[in-house]
Amino acid sequence: MSPAWLAPQACSVLGAAHGRQGKPCQDASLSTELVGPDGQTLQLLAVADGHGSSRSWLSQRGSALACAEAQAAVADALSRTPLSDERAWRQLLREGLAAAVHRRWRAAISADWPQHSPDPAAALEPVAYGCTLGVLLLAPRWWGCTGLGDWDLVAVDRGGGAQLLSQEEGIGGLGGGEATASLCLPQGETLWAQRAQLQPLSSQGQLQALVLTTDGVRKSCASDADFLALCSQVIQLEEPQQLRRGLEQITRDGSGDDVSLAMALRAGPGSNPRPRGRRAALALAGAALALAGGLVAAQRLLQRPTAPAPDPVLLQQQTLCADPTRIRANLTPRRAQLQQLRRDPAAAAALLAAPQRDPLGALLARSQRGTLTACPALRQQLATLWRETGGKMPAVEVRADERPPAGDRPAAPGSR
Amino acid sequence: MPFPNVRLSNRPLHFIYLCDCSGSMAAQGKMQALNQAIRQSLPGMAEVAGNNPEARVLVRAVRFADRAEWHLQEPTPVQQLQWRDLEAGGITAMGEALELLAGVLQSPPMEERALPPVLVLISDGQPTDDFEAGLATLMRQPWAQKAVRLAIALGHDADLEVLQQFIGPEPPGGGRSPRRPLQASNATSLAQYIQWASTAVVGAASMPASQVQGAAAGNIPLPDLPPTVLDPTDDVGPLVW
Repeated sequence: MSPAWLAPQACSVLGAAHGRQGKPCQDASLSTELVGPDGQTLQLLAVADGHGSSRSWLSQRGSALACAEAQAAVADALSRTPLSDERAWRQLLREGLAAAVHRRWRAAISADWPQHSPDPAAALEPVAYGCTLGVLLLAPRWWGCTGLGDWDLVAVDRGGGAQLLSQEEGIGGLGGGEATASLCLPQGETLWAQRAQLQPLSSQGQLQALVLTTDGVRKSCASDADFLALCSQVIQLEEPQQLRRGLEQITRDGSGDDVSLAMALRAGPGSNPRPRGRRAALALAGAALALAGGLVAAQRLLQRPTAPAPDPVLLQQQTLCADPTRIRANLTPRRAQLQQLRRDPAAAAALLAAPQRDPLGALLARSQRGTLTACPALRQQLATLWRETGGKMPAVEVRADERPPAGDRPAAPGSR
Repeated sequence: MPFPNVRLSNRPLHFIYLCDCSGSMAAQGKMQALNQAIRQSLPGMAEVAGNNPEARVLVRAVRFADRAEWHLQEPTPVQQLQWRDLEAGGITAMGEALELLAGVLQSPPMEERALPPVLVLISDGQPTDDFEAGLATLMRQPWAQKAVRLAIALGHDADLEVLQQFIGPEPPGGGRSPRRPLQASNATSLAQYIQWASTAVVGAASMPASQVQGAAAGNIPLPDLPPTVLDPTDDVGPLVW
């Protein structure tokens, strides 16, 4: 496993409703480690969600094949492309893997079809195997994602805040009903680019973990804030069985749909690698080495006064401003929350009192109070969101007796 | 460490009747039949809701005559619903009813995680106001576009064209389909259609499978009409309306 990433795991659980109806779990997930010719390792996480409708009657096979073929396609790419070539991997995430996975998946379902079709001579119906696929690659110096359909990807930062990095836009996703893009669509291959991204870890100092889920998890949570809180807390689980039991609870008390979750922690300062299963010995050895090397530094650190906890809203701002392409995807699902804040200004107080619970909500609350200073791209999208909800974002007010929280003020040169 | 303690929730399923209460509904017992059909359908609907705990079935009703107004404004859990009789009198402000409906299909008040709503339009006549404008307002709401939209025509004076516009494009090939207005010619067939909408359709909408983007079948695949009412054109019971 790449030493940059710890404790990867993936789990799929049969939906409570599907269990009652005697249906199989139509979700599939994968966590595996691939090794390139240069010995570098790449962690692959994947989740796939079979559609499950009467037309997609083999979708539990479609989702399993999707994960398997994604693994084969990524392994093939890794054998030819060094992980240090970020440009090539960015292109692979946008196009190359899409083409390879679609080609492989189509071949796999073609081979599978005669064994399951009532009429083996009948022409293949790809919709019978229809499913979504979300793929997350974790390299020593970057992470990347791609795929299509209504999966969600969340980043958890070291302050405990969580933000949505990728969701299906347009017809799918929340508020879009039950329609989603699918591997079985003829034009499916062209849809991957809009979900593809590659992020160098060097620009993501605060990143603690990435959590990839099928739509059943988000739709089981009462709100997006609950979903993000779930992601920020689930990474603390110590045993795979806890995750499985938790997912069973999610589907039982929530949407009833099959649920899948895959996640990995980023190694680094403050991370707590928890040995799991057969990786325990390796992880312990790594931890011991890190401990030996870090003792002197730790001693020095202990002698310093404790630094104040970082402002979650400021961290949220920094993350969004570092990659403005994510701003809209994160703000759009908050339209309802902003409307609620406009109707009930007192709701802002709760968000501002505990910004670590919902940093993006607290950010909206600060924008309402005119105490938010942010990069132009974020301000512009916030203003758009305000307009879309029928209001106008208050101008920033900085009075001597009511200054914005310290974390919101731009740092003076050299002060940090 | 215990599993994260966050709020989990089943998904609301809004079921909304739009009932024509114009004066013509008073004739030939149509209004009585409609009240009776809805009232009788509630136990079955509650049973379906109980069998699908992942959906929270909430019922509302709009009445339209001279004006459109809420007959049952609060989204009411079907298990708690006690149907108050509708009364007939006036003209047919169907367009205004659609505008009223559009107001509650915005997000908010519609929940982000709601299931596609089920909208059932029941009419025996022709709109007397600007139906096109009302429909356009309604269909600007994404939740209206995703909704299961059904229409029941009472008798042969109902304007099938506007009911089809409410449902959406007519399916190709002619023949029987719940994506065409269901024509009820007497109290028996009306009761069967209402029963089907409030049980089979609610069941399908409660636990929808994902649909492939762009699928022609709509957001929720509609269950078949019950065998006894397979033909939406008057083959059940005597012709009364």
